[in-house]
Amino acid sequence: MADQLTTGKAPAIAKVVATRRGRLPFLTILGAGIVLAWALVAIFAPFLSPYDPIATDFNAILQPMSRAHPLGTDSLGHDMLAQIIYGTRVDLSMGLIGVAAPFVIGIIIGIIGGYFGGLLDTLLMRLLDIALAFPFIVLVLAIVAILGPGLKNYYIALAIVAWVPYARLVRAETLVLRNLEFVEAARVLGYDSFYIIVRHVLPNAITPAAVFLMTDIVLTILLGSGLSFYGLGAQPPTPEWGRLIAQGQTYISQAWWISVFPGIAIVLMALGFTLLGDGLAKQLKVRQ
Amino acid sequence: MKKINLILQRFWQIIPVLLGISIITFLLAHSIPGDPVRLILGPRAPQDVIDAVRQQYGLDEPVLTQYFIYLRNLVRGDWGQSIAFKTPVLELVLLRFTPTLYLLIGGLVFSIIPTLVLSILGSANPDGWLDQTIRVFYTVGLGLPSYWLALVLVLIFAIRSGWLPATGFGNNIKEHISHMILPWATVSMVMTPILTRNLRATLMEKQDADFVIAGLSKGLPRYYIFWRHILPNSVLPSLHLLGVIVLYILGSSIVIEPIFAIPGLGQLYIRSVIGRDYYVIQAMTLVFSLITVTATLAVDVLTLIIDPRIK
Amino acid sequence: MSANLLSVEKLAIRFTTPFGIVDAVRDVSFTLERGEILGLVGESGSGKTITCRSILGLLPKNALPPAGRIYFSGVNILDLAEVELSQIRGEKMSMIFQTPTTFLDPLARVGEQIAESLRYHLKYNHAQGRSYSIELLRSVQIVEPERRVSAYPHELSGGMKQRVMIAAALACRPEILIADEPTTALDVTVQAGILELLRQIREERGLSIILVSHDLGVVAEICDRVVVMKDGCVVEEGTTRDILINPQAPYTQKLISSHPSIDLNVSTQVQEDSRGSTSADILKVENLSVTFKATEGVLQHLFGRGGAAIRAVEGVNLNLKQGETLGIVGESGSGKSTIARTLVSLVPPTSGRVIYKGKPLEEMTRQEFMAYRRAVQMVFQDPISSLNPRMTVNQTLAEPLLKHRICPAEEVDERVDRLMRSVELPAELRIRKPHEISGGQCQRVAIARALTVNPEILIADEITSSMDVTIQAQILELLEKLRDEMGLSIIMISHDLGVIQKLCQNIAVMHNGRVVEYGTAEQVIKLPGDPYTRQLIAAVPHMPVKASL
Repeated sequence: MADQLTTGKAPAIAKVVATRRGRLPFLTILGAGIVLAWALVAIFAPFLSPYDPIATDFNAILQPMSRAHPLGTDSLGHDMLAQIIYGTRVDLSMGLIGVAAPFVIGIIIGIIGGYFGGLLDTLLMRLLDIALAFPFIVLVLAIVAILGPGLKNYYIALAIVAWVPYARLVRAETLVLRNLEFVEAARVLGYDSFYIIVRHVLPNAITPAAVFLMTDIVLTILLGSGLSFYGLGAQPPTPEWGRLIAQGQTYISQAWWISVFPGIAIVLMALGFTLLGDGLAKQLKVRQ
Repeated sequence: MKKINLILQRFWQIIPVLLGISIITFLLAHSIPGDPVRLILGPRAPQDVIDAVRQQYGLDEPVLTQYFIYLRNLVRGDWGQSIAFKTPVLELVLLRFTPTLYLLIGGLVFSIIPTLVLSILGSANPDGWLDQTIRVFYTVGLGLPSYWLALVLVLIFAIRSGWLPATGFGNNIKEHISHMILPWATVSMVMTPILTRNLRATLMEKQDADFVIAGLSKGLPRYYIFWRHILPNSVLPSLHLLGVIVLYILGSSIVIEPIFAIPGLGQLYIRSVIGRDYYVIQAMTLVFSLITVTATLAVDVLTLIIDPRIK
Repeated sequence: MSANLLSVEKLAIRFTTPFGIVDAVRDVSFTLERGEILGLVGESGSGKTITCRSILGLLPKNALPPAGRIYFSGVNILDLAEVELSQIRGEKMSMIFQTPTTFLDPLARVGEQIAESLRYHLKYNHAQGRSYSIELLRSVQIVEPERRVSAYPHELSGGMKQRVMIAAALACRPEILIADEPTTALDVTVQAGILELLRQIREERGLSIILVSHDLGVVAEICDRVVVMKDGCVVEEGTTRDILINPQAPYTQKLISSHPSIDLNVSTQVQEDSRGSTSADILKVENLSVTFKATEGVLQHLFGRGGAAIRAVEGVNLNLKQGETLGIVGESGSGKSTIARTLVSLVPPTSGRVIYKGKPLEEMTRQEFMAYRRAVQMVFQDPISSLNPRMTVNQTLAEPLLKHRICPAEEVDERVDRLMRSVELPAELRIRKPHEISGGQCQRVAIARALTVNPEILIADEITSSMDVTIQAQILELLEKLRDEMGLSIIMISHDLGVIQKLCQNIAVMHNGRVVEYGTAEQVIKLPGDPYTRQLIAAVPHMPVKASL
């Protein structure tokens, strides 16, 4: 009707409408419950674990599931249940710490590029294109090759490359928001750009990034445990689930439980975050 | 804009990307600590040999010159030497290309087909029991670590039952295929959840599209509208996922190939990272990105050609 | 009874929503006679669209089984199964919709979308389908139908797309055509063509049409009878003439009086104190041109997309005197919104100047420019998106007061109170967020926000275009009141000449980026010089002159 250019796509802010009302779906609550359960396991690990995870017992190596060792033992007599419980701390924190820096960096870069446009934005786009030309794991591994193994270096590698999807999402959202009338109104009212970005654009542009955050936590855990599987992530004796799976690889035919159970733990933790993420996405999509 | 122009522009646009890739891969090797020449030649190599090799790779020159030497060598086919294998890197890459190609193609096929089937079945009867089962499947599946899945599959189908070989690649096509079945299954079970979730969401979105109501108002039956209108409108925007799949499979190959002892590019890469085999890492990063860029470009051009909205 | 083609009896439809059960249609009854054009008029929430959808059995998933009856050819449509319904749809009854862009499949050729019902219902083969499609396109006045039949929707203009929809709907020769706001998304000149086409089709084929619209003018133009709906009920019905000239129900009267029709005969209905030659120009636009390029710079051309330049505004001259209300009228693409944005410095001019109180913008110091910014404020078209969804009304209004230090912090509360009263908003809305208040209320907040900085000039860019007509009337009244109280100079931008005529002393008509007519309201409307202006005026649907006034 008016000669106003619309992209045809409603910005994520339109979807924030009426989110507080309406009951939360069961699955979302389930997801939150799972995550909460894992968090509690991590916090209360010493109380929950029947054994010290790094305590060896050479009389009980490669034991299958039994009353004494509900999930069996490994080649050095470590109790699997204990290792998995303590491993929760490592993997959970890995997921949460790993996404922090990329989240912040990506949002900042995405908003600045999207809002100001011009050469800066074009350069940003090219950078994003280049970053997306590599499978993510390739870049992370390359950086780990340079810096050396260890979780700390994993986080650094993530900070260098993992911000890209956030920047893309936020930039796209910012481009739409920039042309929305309340942002234009703020400009007409004479506010400076910095204030407009922080007060008006940021709270609304963050939405897709927040939704992706949940998925990213899952991806970070999967990748981190994969790295640990190959000895490039968490180092012994840290009971990280991926590393535990790797240890069981040699004994896979005799003592399958060493590799299988930590993997199930990963799947369950990922499930919690996935459900939570889906629920978040749905909440933010409720229209009137 | 004319379509040909748009297509040509895509080609234009990868040039800066290629440039960026070459810069990054160059910087990568340049940042690895240690003296690569010593590592390649060994501790007892005489000084003049070391100097000669240093000169060949221009290792004492300023960085910018080194970059151009790097480019020149790249084009010439001189991709450096592997520390571990003591062979030229290019040779290694070419040798290991085929198994990963098998993985890629099989992985694509065995991901796309189940995705299509599941997405269509699920969206045909939304919230029905089939749809709910499919949703459970992909929600759980998103959290499967590929390396763990590989191990589990090997355990069940190779070790315990002996149906399929656990490791290796085989010596002829028939053997290749039988050795690839488990790797393909792994890739499929990791990729299909992601793709299904995506495609199903698009299909569901399009179910409520206005043109569906218009079609119904003309008296057309639902199944006709689905195949003739909803499906094309869902597949077209999902085509870019093909590029994403390639990206993912390449990444997965790094993790999966070693478990199945498949002598492909992925296995080469992880070994070179663990062993800090600089030139291999550099070359592999380049190879991976080139494959990805080619695939993404192909998908982009394909989309441009198919989409009638762009003239 | 045989003259009644369709009979709707006591229809009631309810929906389940996350917030409970909603009554969309409460008690609707009307009949459609053979060969007549029936108008269904109402504002948003009246239930007119749902009613139409239920006639074809196209209710959404969350609709509960409707109560009442819809009789067609002796059968109650509400009793039919899906299979039987799809026999009726297309062959006996069909529908056209508001936005042809979304209601046509963007990936299928136009001819295909027409032919598919021919193939399904009448079992035409491919060749027959194609040739008949061409005939249909010709009958809806599309030129070169042989070429157009293989076109994709995006290659056609809005009006042409709507004609394609009509052709597709008429393919199997239905007896009833339901037209759901078919011209709302179209420019006024295009709208006239579509309405004329519908009238012709009725003549030629004896088609019965139900025309749904919120615009009384459209209904007045071609409908024989009218049904007025509000909140899911029928308020009044009768012949068009009766309803418009002698409305009985208070709501109908309100609807009619709110309608901004053009009065071709009465001379200036607005105050005369504006065009005094002694008043100085407060704002002057000199030879303004604004061109948009898709990309800028060599680098971007290498890396990005190159595109053709769009000349949004070309060589425009305007001036605004203190206290004057200037109207800028044009259809989409005319450049009127671009001018607005240039005046508030959202878009830089490509050439030409904007002069404020004798000083050109580019020669202003930073301070002068900041003062200019405060002096010229704007209210936008979409009330909901012109407010930050995360800020309450109070925050939205307090922000400029605090940021610009217009008053000390202690007085902010009181100021906000005053502002809200001046735009007639109840104080309890202060803590609400935009999605918790109505569109009309949002627009009032937007106006209040613009007034916080005490502007001299207010630019109203299509501020009522997305509103119901009764709300629109209220907002325009408010604007008039504020203008008189505060001595504002206003630039009113609209595509609706009726709205413009209500408030403006002078009018500029824009077409394709140029001003084609510029003069007093009386001059422009009574004695238009430019052919486009004449076309524009002629295209506006006319309401019959009221017997009383």
